[in-house]
Amino acid sequence: MGALLLALVFAASLAGFCALSLAMDRHSEDVFGRGSTPGAWRRWLQLGGTVLLCVSLGASLQAAGSAIGWVLWLGALTAAALATVGLLGYAPRRFHWIASAAAAAALLGLLACLLLAASGT
Amino acid sequence: MKEGFRQSMAWLHTWSGLLVGWVLFMVFAAGTASYFKDEITFWMKPELHAVSPTAAPQAKATETAVAFLQQHSPDAPRWFITLPTEREPSTSVLYLKPPPPAGAAPVERRRRFDVALLDPATGQAVTAPRETRGGEFFYRLHFDLHYMPAIWARWIVGFCAMFMLVAIFSGIVTHRRIFKDFFTFRPKKGQRSWLDAHNVTAVLALPYHAMITYTGLVTLMFMYMPWAPQAAYKDHGGTEAFFAEAFPGGGRTQFKASGTRAPLAPIAPMVAAASSHWNGAPVGRITVHFPNDANAVVSIARAGTQRLSYDQPSMQFNGVTGAQIGTFGDVPKAAAETRGVLYGLHIGRFADPLLRGLFFLSGLAGCLMVATGLLLWAVKERQKFAKTLKQGGRIGFGLRLVDGLNLGAIAGLPMAMAAFFWANRLLPLDVADRGEAEIRWFFIVWGAGAVLGLLRPTLRMWQAQLALGALLFVLLPVLNAFTGPAPLTVSLRSGPNAVAGFDLVVIALGLGLAGAAWLVERKRRKAISKQAAATTPPGLAASGQGS
Repeated sequence: MGALLLALVFAASLAGFCALSLAMDRHSEDVFGRGSTPGAWRRWLQLGGTVLLCVSLGASLQAAGSAIGWVLWLGALTAAALATVGLLGYAPRRFHWIASAAAAAALLGLLACLLLAASGT
Repeated sequence: MKEGFRQSMAWLHTWSGLLVGWVLFMVFAAGTASYFKDEITFWMKPELHAVSPTAAPQAKATETAVAFLQQHSPDAPRWFITLPTEREPSTSVLYLKPPPPAGAAPVERRRRFDVALLDPATGQAVTAPRETRGGEFFYRLHFDLHYMPAIWARWIVGFCAMFMLVAIFSGIVTHRRIFKDFFTFRPKKGQRSWLDAHNVTAVLALPYHAMITYTGLVTLMFMYMPWAPQAAYKDHGGTEAFFAEAFPGGGRTQFKASGTRAPLAPIAPMVAAASSHWNGAPVGRITVHFPNDANAVVSIARAGTQRLSYDQPSMQFNGVTGAQIGTFGDVPKAAAETRGVLYGLHIGRFADPLLRGLFFLSGLAGCLMVATGLLLWAVKERQKFAKTLKQGGRIGFGLRLVDGLNLGAIAGLPMAMAAFFWANRLLPLDVADRGEAEIRWFFIVWGAGAVLGLLRPTLRMWQAQLALGALLFVLLPVLNAFTGPAPLTVSLRSGPNAVAGFDLVVIALGLGLAGAAWLVERKRRKAISKQAAATTPPGLAASGQGS
């Protein structure tokens, strides 16, 4: 459970920041080419990104307790945001694949954690 | 002339950052290394790499340590036993030597105690490692500096940290588009890229930067601002009384020996009692005051893991009867706990390896933030001289000075840190005061880098120092393979993990420095081809670019 939660912390914060960056015109252009905008997806990307960051916070508090959990979350956010910037700058063509993979991992991890928690009680 | 708030903040940010930037870069770099000071120290003692201490429960480790101390120093005024943890698998003991008889020459401070590392299961001292300051050097360097009284150094570092805090907050005001530019990094765009890199490393790790700077000041707050306790406790025992009252976690610390001998009660049951009092939390350090004396007292402090706060509660026991004397600091007052948490956040002793890694990463971001900030000042300033340079003139003295200091601080420091590790392995083992000799090499290399940087602040020099630093770092695992029993091929498979981790991290740091050297090379080529284009007829410039 511990390792799974930690993986969830990182996957969710990376996926969350990727979604938030794709909701911006400039980074949408970086990834999908000049002139592309997120359009109607913008709201959903912003909402999804925010939810993913909240999931990351929840997992972090669960994994490391209510005091150290906050520190872990902020650290994970920093690492994830730096990774997002790196991917946007140096791997824009693969960005959406990596972001999707992170989101999928986060969802699977969340599901697994919830199932484990449910079966544990 | 009336300036807007933002302009005045930009001015403040520029100058508060520049003035103290070089010291801050060193403080950030050495402080970042300090997160792994135990691992660094361990790497620097290769004699210990082949020894794998047998893990033992705390009760057993206590018993074996006490047996060792009874055998080696039954008359010591004090014993300190630090029980093994995951990071430090050996029990470490420190025992004061009995004071010299009255009238004898006073003993030098460092010779007044002995230390030993013990195998927790057997209580045998593990091989005496070489003399080195290890990671402790970087830890001390980042607030005590070196070659000067610690008090001066702490005032200097505190002054710089205050400027840093000013630079952070004025930087937030100056940076107009924190959220719009949150993810923005545009490589290969000259000044634009430097500004982006500065913004990204600053903004993305902002919680860390603000925390570490503020809490850094908090760690020394009673030195910087002693007046409140001084005034309030003036007639009530002075600041000593204040500390005893505000931070009762340590319990009483002043005891007197009776001079009558009495057998020491077994300590393992006290450790068990303390641990169960703290709901099973492990014990960190045991202090025995006047062992084997009728007035013996045993203090037991909780281990500093699992909680943010630096202050740990403790319990005291009568050293002869084994009866509990008292518990201290179980319910800290709000103000003391606030300081304890801020202090604890700064030194991050609660962090497991993963969180420690995140702290390290944020610290590296801090180094890059300071470095890019310093370089940005020079890049911007250079533009003012564009016209003069074009007419064959020279840049101003200020810019030249900043260029030189930047070079010495940013490229020179990593080189010096690597040299420190090389000195650790290459200096003969019997050199007098070996720990200080290693440190001397650190400063020789750094000093050489700084002097050369000030004499010739050119791209070539940047490249040379960065490349040398890269080489020294990347080759450290090779050096380790030849001078220690745990090369990477062994340590990756069967440990020690700390050695494998050290080797991998220095390779990564070396590659990072090599990357920086490569960036300088690209810039240098560009500058050369630009110059060639400006001085040669257009027809020749095209062919010259290919070379």
